[in-house]
Amino acid sequence: MPDPILAYIDPSSGSLIIQVLIASLIALPVFFRNQIARVTGLARRRGNQQTAVDDRRDPE
Amino acid sequence: MTAAIPSEPAAPTTASRRDPGSYRDPGGFVYRRDGVIFRQIDAPAIDGWEQFLASGLADRLIADGRLIRHDPASLQDAATPTARAVIRPEPIPFVSYPYEWTFGELQDAALLTLDVQLAALEAGWTLRDATAYNVQFRDGRPILIDSLSFAPHEEGAPWIAYRQFCEHFLAPLALMARRDVRLNRLLRADPDGIPLDLASTLLPWRTRLNLGLLSHLHLHARAQNRYAADDEAASTASGVRIDRQRLVGLIRNLRGTVAGLRWKPAGTEWSDYADHTSYGDAATASKTSIVRELLATTGAQTVWDLGANTGRYSRVAAEGGRRVLAFDIDPAAAERNYRQIRQEGRTDILPLVMDLANPSPGVGWASGERQSLVDRADADAVLGLALIHHLAISRNVPLWMLMDLFATLAEWAVIEFVPKDDPMVRHLLATREDVFPDYTLDGFRAAAMGRFTIVAERPIDESPRVLFLLRRR
Repeated sequence: MPDPILAYIDPSSGSLIIQVLIASLIALPVFFRNQIARVTGLARRRGNQQTAVDDRRDPE
Repeated sequence: MTAAIPSEPAAPTTASRRDPGSYRDPGGFVYRRDGVIFRQIDAPAIDGWEQFLASGLADRLIADGRLIRHDPASLQDAATPTARAVIRPEPIPFVSYPYEWTFGELQDAALLTLDVQLAALEAGWTLRDATAYNVQFRDGRPILIDSLSFAPHEEGAPWIAYRQFCEHFLAPLALMARRDVRLNRLLRADPDGIPLDLASTLLPWRTRLNLGLLSHLHLHARAQNRYAADDEAASTASGVRIDRQRLVGLIRNLRGTVAGLRWKPAGTEWSDYADHTSYGDAATASKTSIVRELLATTGAQTVWDLGANTGRYSRVAAEGGRRVLAFDIDPAAAERNYRQIRQEGRTDILPLVMDLANPSPGVGWASGERQSLVDRADADAVLGLALIHHLAISRNVPLWMLMDLFATLAEWAVIEFVPKDDPMVRHLLATREDVFPDYTLDGFRAAAMGRFTIVAERPIDESPRVLFLLRRR
């Protein structure tokens, strides 16, 4: 719990709990966007690596 | 020899008068002495206060005009021996209250609060309260006046003041934008903020389709009721954690919700009044020059423009560096005035919504926390243009009572008498019995002389109206 001087007003239990729920909901699209970016980024990197390997295979 | 008689305090004029609204926070309080505002910081808040000063955040917020400046003061100036530090905040010329602000003023105050909270979080701090009374208007812009609101942000802690922000800002703004702009008057009835369940009940159902209002207001209200007076919920709530990034996301979302509320100032009482008056160009020019000349005679530095509408004559009154409060009963007129002032970057005029027939009373504990309008009177002159017929005829206020009010508010009064043959008065009398036999030029003079000396009486060109300059006797 925060120290008493910080919490001199009544924060209301419901107001504390709802913050976490709303913040999680807001974070969801960001989470999915990041996941998609990660997957596509991974695929792109893998593609680039493939090209690099191909280049090496065919030096002449 | 009688030895034990305690001596009288050396200087009785140095008695401290505690601000009646400054009692909630155990960290310190505001008081006045000899007209100077002080604030003392007591033991519970002293560590946080010293860290805040050293953090750089305080300097940044003060430098960009978001937090009130303060000077350090001596511990000898403390009101009580419990003081650990004393400061002297920069005084605000006129203290106004959220129930007197226009929609735009309340919205700007809300956005300031959230922007300060975002800046604070970024620097590892948080606002431990977020009441609308922590904001005042200075030089035309909102500014946070509670230097003691900041506490170190404990990693993982939710925002303690989230509830207070929603009750003081989000609920009234949503009600004003989405139900009726006059509902900010609920803030007068509930100085601790509008209860969210009440706001949720009053708002139209379709506001639930707005994700921000759905979550920060409707679901928030339900969560408050669901977990109220429940020990188990209290223990759950005390263990709630939220990482800073998510907390910032929450505040940004709340900011978007507040900024997304729109209200168009149209369709209320007098917002198009200026276009509907019976004034021709010549009469307007004549009135402007007489007002300018009469106000110059008064030497006034501060003018209250009563019934200012969208502020045409407030601008005349502000000439020569005068500070002007522009009161109007119509929220739309005051809002238009505010938007124009903000756009022009003016610092000298503050529009406020006020019904002069029912001005702000004393509000809060012992009716003393928030002062009545009359108790805050600081004008050298009042300006009452195209005003008295609304009060005397529409509201049945006798002329002598009007004079009493003007004389209570200021030493000087510049008042326009609007006779019964003026089209605006004819319009007011069209639908009712004329029960105002004393509402004549002579009746006006007689009423004025009850409290004032008539210094000048100037007819307006091409108009039946007359401007009076009155000086309190």
